[in-house]
Amino acid sequence: MLEDIKSEITDINVAEASYPERGYHLAIEARKENLLRVIKFFDDKGFYLEDLCCVDYADYLELVYFFNNHTELFRIKTTIKLTPDKPSAPTISNIYTMAHWYEREIHEFFGVYFENHPNLTYLFLHDGIDSYPLRKNRVPVSEDDKRLLSFPIPHEEEDTFSVNLGPQHPSTHGVLRVILKLDGEYILSADPVLGYLHRMHEKMAENRSYAQFLPNPARMDYLASLNFNLAHVAAVERLCAIAVPERAQYVRTITCELNRIASHIFWLGAFLGDLGGLTPFLYGFDDRENILDILEGITGSRLTYCYFRFGGLYNDVDDNFMDATRAFVKRMWKRLPMYEKLVTKNVIFINRVEDVGILERDKVRRFGCSGPVIRGTGMPFDMRKVEPYAAYGDMDFEIPVGENGDILDRYMVRMREIETSLRIISAALEKLPAGPFNAEKVPKKLKPPKGDAYHVVESPRGQLGVYIVSDESDTPYRMRWRVPSYSNLMTFPHLAQGTLIADAIAILGSLDLIIPEIDR
Amino acid sequence: MIEQVINIVGMANIRVIIGLTGILTLITVSTLLLTWAERKVAGHMQRRIAAKEVGPFGLLQPIADAIKLIGKELLTPADVEKPLYFLGPILIFVPVLVSFVVIPFDARLQVMDVNVGILVILAFSSLSVLSILISGWGSNNKYSLIGAVRSVAQNIAYEIPLLLSVLAVVFMSNSLSMNDIVEAQKGLWYVFLQPIAFIIFFIACVAETNRTPFDLPEGESELVAGFHTEYSGMRFALFFLAEYTNIVIVSAVATTLFLGGYNGPILPGIVWFFLKTYFLVFVIMWFRWTFPRVRFDQLLNFSWKILMPLSFLNLIATGALLKLL
Repeated sequence: MLEDIKSEITDINVAEASYPERGYHLAIEARKENLLRVIKFFDDKGFYLEDLCCVDYADYLELVYFFNNHTELFRIKTTIKLTPDKPSAPTISNIYTMAHWYEREIHEFFGVYFENHPNLTYLFLHDGIDSYPLRKNRVPVSEDDKRLLSFPIPHEEEDTFSVNLGPQHPSTHGVLRVILKLDGEYILSADPVLGYLHRMHEKMAENRSYAQFLPNPARMDYLASLNFNLAHVAAVERLCAIAVPERAQYVRTITCELNRIASHIFWLGAFLGDLGGLTPFLYGFDDRENILDILEGITGSRLTYCYFRFGGLYNDVDDNFMDATRAFVKRMWKRLPMYEKLVTKNVIFINRVEDVGILERDKVRRFGCSGPVIRGTGMPFDMRKVEPYAAYGDMDFEIPVGENGDILDRYMVRMREIETSLRIISAALEKLPAGPFNAEKVPKKLKPPKGDAYHVVESPRGQLGVYIVSDESDTPYRMRWRVPSYSNLMTFPHLAQGTLIADAIAILGSLDLIIPEIDR
Repeated sequence: MIEQVINIVGMANIRVIIGLTGILTLITVSTLLLTWAERKVAGHMQRRIAAKEVGPFGLLQPIADAIKLIGKELLTPADVEKPLYFLGPILIFVPVLVSFVVIPFDARLQVMDVNVGILVILAFSSLSVLSILISGWGSNNKYSLIGAVRSVAQNIAYEIPLLLSVLAVVFMSNSLSMNDIVEAQKGLWYVFLQPIAFIIFFIACVAETNRTPFDLPEGESELVAGFHTEYSGMRFALFFLAEYTNIVIVSAVATTLFLGGYNGPILPGIVWFFLKTYFLVFVIMWFRWTFPRVRFDQLLNFSWKILMPLSFLNLIATGALLKLL
């Protein structure tokens, strides 16, 4: 790979990076002029854009592109430097569709202008801004940019009308707003509007120490708090080179999988609620309640857990936890056939979801989808397998995949993932080693060495990446969250086009969106 | 004095007035009971207890609900089409009331024996779609409008199989009078002679009453609340009342046409009638808490492509067999 890149593109700096320390294999420094050539090269090689973010180093801005491969882990960090005064860069949204929103986000937060971008408007901050929030120095927003950012009000044409689906609507599960342009009940176009729950966690991270940020990730994805907690903790551990004891790794695996099951069960109820079946919701809660009780016993909270610490855990698991978890696994195995009978074999349900909202396999790379959305198309892409973290490397499990990428496939993938998680939990409980649950000598106030690190975990919704840049102080210089729902939502306008309202609701539900995670 | 009144108003009219008063009471009480029953059925199907605090077994809960709804301020959104908006909830209630007039609760308990009783019911039940349309249109809300339009398409689609399945019964009884139809079922109920017609009739009834899995006009997860999104307080309560009364009326008609009406051993006729009716009501509730919602095109396809040909075939077969035997 390295040779390939070097021979293809000559005028760039390529440096190999140590994967265990940094989380990426290659660091490429491109320039504005040859950026598009580099990107096209990655596109030809079948890479997907993992993340796109910006870091303000005061005397220059750095755009960071992370590329990765779906078949084999090979993460490449590509950077370009921009001048802090009126920064601009070429857009890559024509190559990678997902960059569309990422670039809008960077434009809004850093004031980087993307040439030829089709729609460089506000994404999150619709109330307007005076200065770019993530810049290190106060940079006022110019009048031109303010005009550019303003959001166009949807206008109605003859024979069509637009409907605001949300922000207050029973099926958007939070405060997502989608502007639907309808012809009768057929959707001509769907345009998601974000930002109703925007809290700027990335800026918050810059203002508090590493430990103080610990509770925040749970507020991003309240259904998979532990997975988010883990992503943050693991990224900091990578940055500080903290070795985590085996026992802690196993407990992390077990609790994360419990959280995944809880999240999938909640999704099942909510999704069937979208389809009009209200009863499975309460059946699901019956099971989920067990998990919440188990996790409450060790973490102290029921929803927004903050259980992992740098180098280990908040406290050790006890026998109660072990027994309760074993009992839950046993119970859940009995409950799954019931769900199968109640839901999967219902002919109305099958008619609603089969061959609806088909996501083509060749599209997912450009949209940057992950999680059950990408696995539904038949691609066995799971970070637990591709890039094992915690104790997943020791576990033997299969990745369930679908075939067509329709809603039914996404549903089946999630249901079978519950089974996979149950197997992982059982195996991890068997193997759980004795020993300390915390690393020794982790300082109270972390001051990681200068540099950056990237860490990825598989949240129930897909690939969750954390990119931390440290400047040797006790607060992160920049913390970037790559959240799965964000990229998954981008497929919605594509999937919803030409469908009925009822289908669009089903598609929206099948993507399993968590709005606070998208808005961050 | 009383004779004078009877002379002026006429015996038949007095009978209707007393009957309607009785029916109004019946409807109100039955709706109150049904909202309680729906909570209980839903609760037990969803592994929870449901209402139990207000009164014994939560039986007074509907009264508390009713007081709340009556006590609420009647909000009128700014841009509604006022006459239509006000008319909607009233109009939805009237046809339902009238349908009860021709239903025989017992051998001699019937407000009026119209010799085209079944036609009266079908005609009046078609009216309810009009009120849904005007309330959806008058609300000046896009979700309401979509819900109203869906309702019209759905009602037209399901009225035809409904009618055809009823015709099969009429073929057998040779009468349009509800009383005669019940009398004809003294021996064997029509549900055993006309099982296909019964199933078609019942499915169409669920669709006519906008209940899950055919609750598209008010499909909560799609259209917020469909045609009654903009209604609150007592106006909403009227829609609610009409919905439950509709369920009772379709169940009562199904009982009369297919389940032998008030016929049954030992117990008095009226008890049998209500037992059968409320059993069907329970089945409709059961549907709601079990099935997801169908999609709009599937709903129409199901009616036009499956129910319609099937009911036609059933009708032809019935006619042919009756002629031959």
